[in-house]
Amino acid sequence: MPEKIAPEERLLSLTVALMAHRYGLTKEQILSSVSGYREARAEGRSSDALEKMFERDKDALRDLGVPIHTVGDHADPDDLREARYLIPKAEYLLPEDIAFTPAEVAVLNLAAAVWGESSMSADAAAALRKIRALGIDVDEPIIGFAPRISAREPAFAPLRQANDQARVVRFTYVKPGDDVLRARTLEPHALIEFEGRWHVHGLDRDLGETRTFLLSRIVGDVQVTREGFDPASRVGAGERARLGLESVSAQNIAELRVQDATEAAVRLRRRGTRDGDILRVRYVDVHVLADELASYGPEVRVEGPDELREQVVSRLRRTLAAHGVSA
Amino acid sequence: MSADKPLLAIDRVAIVMNLVPYLVERGPVSVAEAARELDVAPDVLRRLAEGLVVIGLPDGMHNDLFDIDWDLLDERDELQLLNTVAFERAPRLTAREAAALLAGLQLAGSAPGVAAKGVVPGLIAKLSRGASAPPAELTVTANPGDEVRSAVMDALDRGLAVSFTHQKPDASPTTRTVDPVKILVKDDQWYLRGWCHLRRDMRTFHLDRISDVVVTDVAAGVHDDPEASVFGAADGPLEATIRFTPHVAPLLGQFLDHAVVTTEGTRSTAVLRVADPTQLKRLAARRGGEVEILAPDEARIAAVEWARAGLAQYG
Repeated sequence: MPEKIAPEERLLSLTVALMAHRYGLTKEQILSSVSGYREARAEGRSSDALEKMFERDKDALRDLGVPIHTVGDHADPDDLREARYLIPKAEYLLPEDIAFTPAEVAVLNLAAAVWGESSMSADAAAALRKIRALGIDVDEPIIGFAPRISAREPAFAPLRQANDQARVVRFTYVKPGDDVLRARTLEPHALIEFEGRWHVHGLDRDLGETRTFLLSRIVGDVQVTREGFDPASRVGAGERARLGLESVSAQNIAELRVQDATEAAVRLRRRGTRDGDILRVRYVDVHVLADELASYGPEVRVEGPDELREQVVSRLRRTLAAHGVSA
Repeated sequence: MSADKPLLAIDRVAIVMNLVPYLVERGPVSVAEAARELDVAPDVLRRLAEGLVVIGLPDGMHNDLFDIDWDLLDERDELQLLNTVAFERAPRLTAREAAALLAGLQLAGSAPGVAAKGVVPGLIAKLSRGASAPPAELTVTANPGDEVRSAVMDALDRGLAVSFTHQKPDASPTTRTVDPVKILVKDDQWYLRGWCHLRRDMRTFHLDRISDVVVTDVAAGVHDDPEASVFGAADGPLEATIRFTPHVAPLLGQFLDHAVVTTEGTRSTAVLRVADPTQLKRLAARRGGEVEILAPDEARIAAVEWARAGLAQYG
């Protein structure tokens, strides 16, 4: 009876084989000689099953960051029978000239800890393990500073996956006070946390224009479609989104009257500029600021702009209505 | 990698791809130390190291396989490679891994002392170059600091107590002296965790509620901070019940962290524990009708009066 080969032995042997051969190996060479495949074939496994196993293994290794290239026939690139598979060592290995100092590793440990328990922490931890595999000493951990980013919105994980794989997404978006749910089709070019809130920035396929959406207003599941978009459109998108949000916030200025010694005074004066009795506060999104101002109840009165005042008034009215009182 | 999660074959592959370069650099090294550094259970690591000796080139000769020093492993539980056939250096980061660290770095870079060391720009360049594909676009913007933040960081850095005025909602301001233990940043909100001389206990202060900060010349005491969740301070002894449409749940954030939530049809109900149920008026007004306070009565009444008083300003 042929011996059973553990799947990790097969995956590692495949990686070693594809790295060792400068011109790569054909699928036939792999299936007949690489440990794991060879034994499975000897056991009488069908070639269909073996080919599927090879496809799955390639996907799993690529997901880990192993660059597996397929070099096809020049005359007919779609004909993979004679294609050769190889892993260029230089693309697999961390470049020799990248080294980290003990102080840098300590900072990276702190950077990875930022993700806490969120879905990003697995990626951050995997990255740190690779860096620690370089065998570098680490400075004393940085204590006394614990920054955390929470990514609690359910939309975060699928949007990040779609951004990573450059695929179009569909989701339902709701604006507060506007009960109409709208279906959106978006190329997610970047995810950006701005003022403590996650946004997705990208090309709205229906409008044909770039738009920025708040993740917390996405209702229900984000559907990652099979349709791709040009990965190059992601380059620099995070910075463009940030500049966009900042320029919006420079144009939108709320004029407020704030009662002294209140929660509103404590929270708003810090980020506003005073002009006599009026406090001017910049904002990105009228709904987000209206949410906050409504929470202060009588502690703040909105002098302008009109749209902001109306949004605050309607929140207060709806709060009364929800508690069975008419305004 | 947490020990309780079952490892898949691909996880074991990832461990081996880290173990080999680590041993090339560091061997011989004890199984225990390698396990700690690589974040793997020691017995898992030992088995994977033993399994290395069958990995090699197809139809390989003896010297085309990995080899380990068996005597050293048996006698001293130490790992040393005698021959390698691949993986001599750590693998590149994937685009996602690099993005996770880069985004984290945008916040970690504002740590006291980190910015001063000037390591962040170099790290950004190295992480970008060390990735197998351009890192995903994931941006985190840290808000600019102010004098409160720099004073608190300065006190923490120099091990001195700080005193300041603290303003809680609907309460008179108090003057506090605090031995700073930690600065916490969550969702762009900054907090100081420290030992409060007035309350003789550990407390968490939102930096927005702090003013008139003075860094004293009194050395801060050393305090253990046993509390697992430093944001547990948001929880209180009193119970309150709210009802909301399920799609606002992500907007309720910390309120739901320790709440019991039941959902029936298009409405969810949550039982929360809070310090002061009447303060839920602020949450109800913020969510403008999407959150209804069911109990206790005084909290429901407070919410109605709050909204009414707010509206009265607009005539």
